[in-house]
Amino acid sequence: MSAKIQVNQLQKSYGTNEVLKGLDLTVQENEVVVMIGPSGSGKSTFLRTLNKLEEPTAGQIIVDGHDLNDAKINMNHVREKIGMVFQHFNLFNNLTVGENVMLSPVELGKLNKQDAKVEAKDLLKRVGLEDKFDANPKSLSGGQKQRVAIARTLAMKPDMILFDEPTSALDPEMVGDVLAVMKDLAKDGMTMIVVTHEMGFAKEVADRVIFMADGYIMEEGTPNEIFSNPQNKRTKEFLNKVLNV
Amino acid sequence: MKRARIGLLSIICGVIFIMGLAFSKPVNVNAAEKVYEIGTDVTYPPFEFANDQNKYVGIDIDIMKTIAKNEGFKVDIKPIGFNAAVQALDAGQIDGMIAGTTITNERKQKMDFSDSYFKTGVVMAVAKNSSIKSYSDLKGKRVAIKTGTAAGDYAKSIQKKYGFTTVTFDDSNNMYDDVSTGNSVACFEDQPVMQYAIKTGAKLKIVTKPAEGGYYGFAVKRGKNQELLKKFNAGLKEIKANGQYEKIVTKYLGASAMASEKKDKSQNTFVDLWNQNKDALMGGLGQTIILTVLSIIFATIFGVLIGLLGVVPNKLANGFSTTVIYVFRGLPLLVLALFIYTGVPNLLGEKIPAFIAGIITLTLNEGAYTAAFVKGGIEAVDDGQMEAARSLGLPYGKAMRRVILPQGLKIMVPSFINQFIITLKDTSILSIIGILELTQTGKIIIARNLEGFKIWTMVALIYLIIITLLTWLSKWVERRMKS
Ligand SMILES: Nc1ncnc2c1ncn2[C@@H]1O[C@H](COP(=O)(O)OP(=O)(O)O)[C@@H](O)[C@H]1O
Ligand SMILES: [Mg+2]
Repeated sequence: MSAKIQVNQLQKSYGTNEVLKGLDLTVQENEVVVMIGPSGSGKSTFLRTLNKLEEPTAGQIIVDGHDLNDAKINMNHVREKIGMVFQHFNLFNNLTVGENVMLSPVELGKLNKQDAKVEAKDLLKRVGLEDKFDANPKSLSGGQKQRVAIARTLAMKPDMILFDEPTSALDPEMVGDVLAVMKDLAKDGMTMIVVTHEMGFAKEVADRVIFMADGYIMEEGTPNEIFSNPQNKRTKEFLNKVLNV
Repeated sequence: MKRARIGLLSIICGVIFIMGLAFSKPVNVNAAEKVYEIGTDVTYPPFEFANDQNKYVGIDIDIMKTIAKNEGFKVDIKPIGFNAAVQALDAGQIDGMIAGTTITNERKQKMDFSDSYFKTGVVMAVAKNSSIKSYSDLKGKRVAIKTGTAAGDYAKSIQKKYGFTTVTFDDSNNMYDDVSTGNSVACFEDQPVMQYAIKTGAKLKIVTKPAEGGYYGFAVKRGKNQELLKKFNAGLKEIKANGQYEKIVTKYLGASAMASEKKDKSQNTFVDLWNQNKDALMGGLGQTIILTVLSIIFATIFGVLIGLLGVVPNKLANGFSTTVIYVFRGLPLLVLALFIYTGVPNLLGEKIPAFIAGIITLTLNEGAYTAAFVKGGIEAVDDGQMEAARSLGLPYGKAMRRVILPQGLKIMVPSFINQFIITLKDTSILSIIGILELTQTGKIIIARNLEGFKIWTMVALIYLIIITLLTWLSKWVERRMKS
């Protein structure tokens, strides 16, 4: 096992609003980390700094041994290896489902059109949507869209995937299908950071659970430690709220 | 950053291309045999007007052409309107002007005049059935005058004394109409012009003796084109001596000339007028279409480039884009056209042909509007689309081309169609710099036959037909794009 991601004293501010106030985190290869915490605590911001959708204000991020502060680094190459799945799917509206999955391998010259098509069909089969290859994304349900988004990310053969509340925008009956796909990925050894409120998923799949609040990591541990025996007062309060609804 | 630089480079190329187009033509002309460009009024009969065949004729035109022939030089007569000619002369866009221009001390500040070729005086005309007989009847009434004319200046000089108000027109016919329809009670005009207009159909009568005797002269910009001025003076002496001058004046002010002109225009049906003028109108339409198509092409290229500069992640490019949009959307089209046609050449010391000036004007103005909706269309695409594309490792340019632009374009299509139609309509404004497009053609025909209602109806219908066709075409393209 080696460190996939290493974050040192990461800070991010929007103007005077300090969102991340100094985060340290190391994620090992094949590890599944679940991140929980109240809304507005900076979870999304944190994920987005890891692939530089947001520029950090200070601190260090090392991905696969590459320091992202290094001016010579090609962010596009780094991003190819870090998949990202969004709360609102962000499927490309101008493309069919198949084209969504094929776009980046073809555009970036990883695969020719033919191979990309075969690959895309394979990936769609893996997420249970082989019959949707020619469909318009608009015709899909939320759960189907999110599974297409996961297939699209997998098409780049990433080393790790960041999930930002992948099931929060879904009707309850859709959540299971998406989580099943994610569990499969975890079982196959994908390195994952998952922001979610699905405590069941966390208990079952996570190697580690991180509780974030006020721009800090307040507490981290195994699912058992965090859910059964939280140490931090804020963690307790938060879990009480989420688990007792 | 790299992307932004490529964008910036392409915009610079675009501007250079347009500039190149602008200056390639005059250079060619200069290299060829010397042709003097002479500005004149659109319509100032009997001095200059378009005849039945839409050829420019009149005392000024014939004198100019006869002298040119005798003295052995070439002239290109440009009927751009009196005021436009004054400005074009000052800007060096034309070499001389002959437009029934009264020699005044004020004008001598800016122009050098030839010896006078015609003596005139200011008269007042009123509607046929009017009871007004003298200046003193004008108290509290409204009087029509033409901008920048000596007759107009005279009216203004006595305005206080007799207590009337004035309304100004750019065009003699509009001025006559204002009086014959009763909007104004009287107008002031040079005697020969007024006589000729009445004899050829204006429903007015002259009620005063000529005042303020004035002298018409041919003019060049002060200190410029002195050899042309010398040739004109020499030529004038010659035609006065050999009888050609007398012949020209009689041709337009003699009784027989009037009779034939008068008979022509008593009752023209719509169809008659169409048959008489369809060639001229179609010629004008041709210019309008060429102007529209070229302007749409250049404005679209310019607009898309500026619009893209407005959305790339580069502060400098964004600022540039915002400024360009702000300036060229903010300027009235008319001001922009005059600025480019008569202002810029002043600075450059290079002529810009009216046609090129017109294309540049429309490219900048319509392009600014295009840039604004291109920018808006791209910004209307959900941010998540770009984020998803970038997080897959697509570089900015690829993400833009494959994901953002196709969606933005769909949003922009109705705006593009709208802008094409606006461009077509806006070409009419270029009549101000004397481009012989549809509107200017209409103006010139009406200047000759005074059939304002029928000719403007034709012009309006032609515009509507073309706009309808353009709309259909655009809708068809839009449908094709969707499927
Ligand atoms: N683009 C942005 N500009 C300004 N403030 C932002 C931006 N994105 C997030 N924030 C702020 O950062 C804080 C954390 O947001 P976020 O990371 O979305 O929290 P979480 O995902 O934990 O709910 C919030 O206060 C939010 O208002
Ligand atoms: Mg969030």
